[in-house]
Amino acid sequence: MIEGLRKGDEAAFRYLVDTYQDRVYNTAMGIVQSAEDAEDVAQEVFIQVFRSIGAFKAESKLSTWIYRITTTRSLDLLRSRKSKKRFGFIQRLLGENNEPVQEIPDFNHPGIQLDRKENAARLFKVIGKLPENQKIAFTLHKLEDLSYQEVSDVMGTTVAAVESLMHRAKQNLRKLLENEND
Amino acid sequence: MNRVNRRFYPLLTSKQSYMSTNKQHRIDEIMDSLDGCTRAAAPDFFYTRLRARMENEASPATSGFWLLRPAFAFASMAIILLINLLVVFSQSNNNTDDAVVATETDGFQSMAAEYRLNEGNSSISYYNLNQDR
Repeated sequence: MIEGLRKGDEAAFRYLVDTYQDRVYNTAMGIVQSAEDAEDVAQEVFIQVFRSIGAFKAESKLSTWIYRITTTRSLDLLRSRKSKKRFGFIQRLLGENNEPVQEIPDFNHPGIQLDRKENAARLFKVIGKLPENQKIAFTLHKLEDLSYQEVSDVMGTTVAAVESLMHRAKQNLRKLLENEND
Repeated sequence: MNRVNRRFYPLLTSKQSYMSTNKQHRIDEIMDSLDGCTRAAAPDFFYTRLRARMENEASPATSGFWLLRPAFAFASMAIILLINLLVVFSQSNNNTDDAVVATETDGFQSMAAEYRLNEGNSSISYYNLNQDR
């Protein structure tokens, strides 16, 4: 398939998209917490894969490489969203934009069981407040069901570092939930 | 010491302890809410939309789209403004040079007036000069 992609073979690209689209979309959705943005990120990921497949060295698995692009693109989107928010805040301070701030509604992941949806929405809300590395580790492990070894490959770190990230992520989530309940 | 503590903090009752445990239990439930979660499927016709976007991005019609971006527009305005300012400043410098030239030409004109060179037009003067020859 990789050889086909390098030659620009349409069928190979179609096969790649069919194989990985759900993984990419689900990961992006866990990080950006919006169906529309997740689709946008997923499209960008496949465009990047198509354009830079020549640079892919078979040192790591193709899935690891694709997950890495997905997490990077998702974080880029979050950063641009944050900077837009900041710019909007400055505009409001200067009185240039008097539109009220739109609150982001609670995110509901479509794969969550119905009786857990309310709890999951609260959890996603606090996941959004985690530092980037913890957010990525938690999302890949919990939503994509990747092992610590796989997460460490995607993040380019050690298994021990991922264990530490997961431990801190859980601690932070608990703290955030406690503060939310107070 | 314990007596003092009891006196000032007598409210750590079994009810509070129950509430605290209940809260922890609630947080545990929230933390476990992603367990058994299934993978979200990409929307229908994802590939079709992806190909459309790729073709759209590759088409030459949209390749100059960046020209319409506000950043480019502002940068262009700034450059035009800068060129205008440079022209204005260079003109004002030229004007000071012209002032020097003007005093020189005034000198020539006064000399011309003194020798009545300005009387009649230049063609006549030229004609007269030729007639003199």
